[in-house]
Amino acid sequence: MGILRLLFSEPFFVVLLGGTLTASTPIILAAAGEDFVESGGVLNLGLEGMLLLGSFCAFIAALLTENIYLGLLAGMAAGVIVGLVFGYLVISLKVNQIVAGLGIEIFVVGLTSLLHRVLFGNTFPVVSEITSKTAVPFFSSLPYVSSIFNQHLVTYISWALLPIAWWVLYRTNFGLNVRAVGENPAAADAHGVNVYRTRYIALIFEGVLAGLGGAFLSICDLAFFVFHMTQGRGFIAIAIVMLAKRNPANLFYWAFLFGICHSLTFGLQILGLDVPREFILMLPYVAVIVLLCFLARNTRLPGAFCTPYERE
Amino acid sequence: MGAEKIVRAAAGPVIAISVAVSLGGILLLIIGFNPFRTYYELFSLGMGTYLGVTESLKRMAPLLIMSAGLIIAFRSGIWNIGGNGQFLIGAVLAGGIAPLLMDRLPLFLFFAVLGCAGFIGGAAWVTIPAVLKAKYEINEIIVTLMMDFIAIYLTAYLVRYPLNAQPGLFPQTVLIPIEKRLPNIPLTEVHIGLIVGLIAVVFAHYLIKITTLGYEIRFSGESRKAALYAGVNIRKVVVIAMLLSGGFAGLAGANDVMGIKGAFQAEWNPGYAYSVIPLVFLSRLNGIAVIPLAYFFSFLSIGGEFMSRAAEVPVFFVQVIEALMLIFFGVSEQIRKRGGFSWGS
Repeated sequence: MGILRLLFSEPFFVVLLGGTLTASTPIILAAAGEDFVESGGVLNLGLEGMLLLGSFCAFIAALLTENIYLGLLAGMAAGVIVGLVFGYLVISLKVNQIVAGLGIEIFVVGLTSLLHRVLFGNTFPVVSEITSKTAVPFFSSLPYVSSIFNQHLVTYISWALLPIAWWVLYRTNFGLNVRAVGENPAAADAHGVNVYRTRYIALIFEGVLAGLGGAFLSICDLAFFVFHMTQGRGFIAIAIVMLAKRNPANLFYWAFLFGICHSLTFGLQILGLDVPREFILMLPYVAVIVLLCFLARNTRLPGAFCTPYERE
Repeated sequence: MGAEKIVRAAAGPVIAISVAVSLGGILLLIIGFNPFRTYYELFSLGMGTYLGVTESLKRMAPLLIMSAGLIIAFRSGIWNIGGNGQFLIGAVLAGGIAPLLMDRLPLFLFFAVLGCAGFIGGAAWVTIPAVLKAKYEINEIIVTLMMDFIAIYLTAYLVRYPLNAQPGLFPQTVLIPIEKRLPNIPLTEVHIGLIVGLIAVVFAHYLIKITTLGYEIRFSGESRKAALYAGVNIRKVVVIAMLLSGGFAGLAGANDVMGIKGAFQAEWNPGYAYSVIPLVFLSRLNGIAVIPLAYFFSFLSIGGEFMSRAAEVPVFFVQVIEALMLIFFGVSEQIRKRGGFSWGS
C-alpha cells in the first residue's frame, strides 16, 4: 500500500506521466508510419534502422548547428533516405521484404556505431542548451496533469498526427488507394492506381515520421547518441500496429501502455522497490509479448501482405 | 552435383560479397581510411597469421552450430531472428551448471551434459514464440526479438546475483579450469567445438534432404497452403523447426562457454545471429555450402576484431559489410530470379 500511495503522490505521478508521454512519442510516430506501409501491403522490418539513423543524423546535425529544428529535419531526411532505399529494394527490385528489412536493420546498427566510434572514439558528447519543450501557459501549472502540458513540440505533433492519419487512411482517396494496394494490387492497378507510387509514398511518409521519432529520441528525450539506442523500439512499433489492427485511432493506447512500462522502469527504480533492476527493465518487452498473445491472435493481414507486386 | 551447377549457385553469393566489399571500401574512403590498406590488414591479420587462422577456426564453431538451426528454421519458412537471446540462455545455463558437475563427472560426460543443458535452454527460450506462432499465427519475428531483450536482462540478473562467483568484482560464473574445457583437435590448437559445428550442419543438411520431416519442412517453407492441403501438420513442423533452431543457438552458447570463455561473464553478448543470418542466406540455406562461407565469416570477424584492437577501423565495420552482403544477395537472387527455391513468405 505504501508503494501505491507513493506512486500516486503528486510529484511522482507527474514525473511518471511525463515520462510515459515522452517514451510513447517515438513509438506513436514510427507506428503511424508503419500503419500506412503495412496497410499498403509492405512489411518494413527496417523500421528500427529508420529510427536509429534518424537518431544518429539528428544528433550530428544538432551537435554541429546547435539548432534543434535542423536536427529534427536531418532526422526526417535520414528516415526518408532509408525509406527510399528500402522501397527501391522491395518495390522496384522485389527483394524479399524480410531479408531486405533485416539487412537494413543490421546495416544501420553497424553503420551508426561505426561512425560514432570513428567520430568520437569512446566519448559520448552531449548536445546541450537546446530544448524544444513547450509549456502551455496555465495548464502546465495544474496539479497532477501538469506534465501533459509540458512536453516537447514533437510530442504535441505526434498527438495531432493520429487523428489526421486516421482521416487520411480511412476518409480520403489516397488512403483508399493505400488500402486497395495492400489488399489487391492487381485490382487497384486495373482501376488506374499506381501501385508502385502509392507504396513509395507510404514509405516516404513513414521515413519522415520514423526519422522524426528517432530524432526525438536522441535530441529531445535524451541529448546524446549511444550504440543501438532505439533498443527494439522499431519492432515494438510494428507490434503496436498489429495490436491496433492497423487503425491509427487505436495506436495511442498501445503506445501509451508501452510508455507506462518504459517510464516505470525508471519510476520503480527511483521508488527503491526491492526488485532487481533487470526485471524492471524487461517490462516493456514482456508487456509486448503478453499483449500480442491475448490481442493479436490470428490477425487478419492485408491480402497482398509482404508480397511484391508484379505488373502483368 | 555437377561442377557447373555449383558455379552457378556460387555466382550470386560471390557477386554479393564483391559488391559489399567494394561498397565497404568506398565507405572506408569516406570516413578517412585507406581501403586497400584496411583490407590488406584485415586479410593478413585474419588469414595471414597462425593466430588468426586458429582463432578463425575456433570462431567457426558457434557460427556453424547456429547456422544449422537457422537453416532448418528458414527452410521451413520460420523467421527465428532471436538467436542472440537463445545463445545467451544456453551460455548462462552451461556456465551456471558447470561448477556443480565439474568435479563429479568424467570429462566427456561433463561436456555432454553441458551441451545438452545449452541446447535445452535455447530450445526452452524459443517455446513461447514457437507456440504463439503455431497456435495463433502471431508473428515470430517480433516475439523472438522481444525475447532477445528479455534474455539480455535475465542473464544479466542471473550472473549478477545467483550465479555470481565473485560478488563485488566483475560478475561472472565460476571459471572452468583450462584442463576441464573442451580439448583440442589432435595436432591443432582448435577445440573440438569445430567438429560439433561440422556435425551440426551436416545433420541439418541431411535432415532436410532425406528425412520425411525434412520434406515437410521444405514443403511448408515453399508453400504453406499447398503443404496444408497435402496434409502436412504445419503446427508440428513450426514447433520442431523453432525448437531445433533455438536449441542449436543455445548449444553454440554452451560451446563458447566450454571452449573459449570458461565462464559466463556479465555484458557478454557476441551477437553472432547478426552474422549468421547473412551467412546462411549466402549459402542458400545449404548445410554443406555453409561450411566454407562460415570460415569466410569467421575470418572477417576475427580479422575485424584484431584490426580494431590495433586501434584502427572499429569492429563495427565487419557488421556493416555483412549486412551489405545480405542485402545484395537478396538483390542478386531477384536479378537471376526463377532460379531454384523460394524462401516462403
